[in-house]
Amino acid sequence: MTEPEITSAKRTIAKLPLAAAVVALAGLADAVYLTAHHYNAEPVPCGAAFDCEMVLTSPFATLGGIINWFAAGTIAPGTAIGEIPLAAFGAAAYFVAFALATLTAFGDQRMWKLFGAQVVLMAAFSGWLIYVQAALIGAFCQFCLISAAITGTLFTIFVISLFIKPKTT
Amino acid sequence: MNNTKNVAEKKSNTPILIIGVVLVVALLAGWYLLSSPKTATNTNGNTAKANAANTTKPNTIPANAPQGANPPNQQGSPTALVTLEEFADFQCPQCGAVHPIMNEIKSTYGSRIRFIFRNYPLAIPAHDKSYNAAVACEAAGMQSPNKFFEMQNLLFTNQKAWTADPNYRTTWKDYAQKIGLDVAKWENDMAGIAAKSRVDEDMRRAKGMGINSTPTLYINGVDVPFQQMNVTGLKALIDAELAKAAPQNQTAPAAPANTGNTNK
Repeated sequence: MTEPEITSAKRTIAKLPLAAAVVALAGLADAVYLTAHHYNAEPVPCGAAFDCEMVLTSPFATLGGIINWFAAGTIAPGTAIGEIPLAAFGAAAYFVAFALATLTAFGDQRMWKLFGAQVVLMAAFSGWLIYVQAALIGAFCQFCLISAAITGTLFTIFVISLFIKPKTT
Repeated sequence: MNNTKNVAEKKSNTPILIIGVVLVVALLAGWYLLSSPKTATNTNGNTAKANAANTTKPNTIPANAPQGANPPNQQGSPTALVTLEEFADFQCPQCGAVHPIMNEIKSTYGSRIRFIFRNYPLAIPAHDKSYNAAVACEAAGMQSPNKFFEMQNLLFTNQKAWTADPNYRTTWKDYAQKIGLDVAKWENDMAGIAAKSRVDEDMRRAKGMGINSTPTLYINGVDVPFQQMNVTGLKALIDAELAKAAPQNQTAPAAPANTGNTNK
């Protein structure tokens, strides 16, 4: 803003973190909703093509369940941390993504690299969760797919930002 | 002095302010959603499990639930004071993980419990061999009730080996030979209606009870959370049930440490 000769490419870059922040907000809303659902145990509205309860009450819906899955056969008793729903971690991740994107949008470019690193991890984990729904649970929940789509969008925004170089003279 | 406030400093505070506001809004939204539970209807018609978790009241078997295959596939003593009823799918990885735990429980408690295994092959593409696996066990059980569990044991123990094997039928045939079945009769029974109808009966019971995931386990009719499906957790529940059922006669059923040697 202080430089009068800002290029159009620079403006695009500034818009991408802003877009990412808005998208991350949608992810945050989705994850907060699913977290609240987990704790108040209310069934979520579910489309006919989905089986939300099957996904959201599966062992893969909690951190402990996933740890148990990787440590097959050594199922530990339920612990406070093991009971934390995955959606809560999703909410935290979207909040951090939102914060990093917002800080970038306001000029702190270092945050964009952190955002990128985080979004790559989130996209990989989202991909695995889609595999879990398709192959291991055999059912999908639309709120989980929305979350995956949001993470995919954040990842795409980051990738696009890598290809748009500012025209520095 | 306010007029001299640095513009750059003002700018740097704006994102923090926005982030803070979003955090507060997210927390408030979460709190609001948590504190105002609606009586939403589930399109799947299964609110029992969810509501049970809400009130920490255990989910119990409905009185009008279909009875399932009769007689059920069972081990232990039919007159035991504690009944475990497991609903499982042969291609469900968690069921495979819980299987050795169940074996340990069965060998620890022997005739002090009644263990019922119910087939609940989930009708999902990833579990394409699940229904047939259940039928294979039922066909084995038609030669001798114990053969059901011998086949069930082999199928769960080798779950990963056959689940991705296109020639799984040949593998199962090897299992049938290994446990001493009349293989020709077993193959014939697998193709017949009797074995399938037993699987269907179990599935009808599972669906009637609103079960939507496997493994699902009931101890004396009370749903056991998956997190508690471990040796320690199950022993605690079984011991409590044993103590409840016979408080006078069996004073210390909760300490199986000394009884373990007598089982084999």
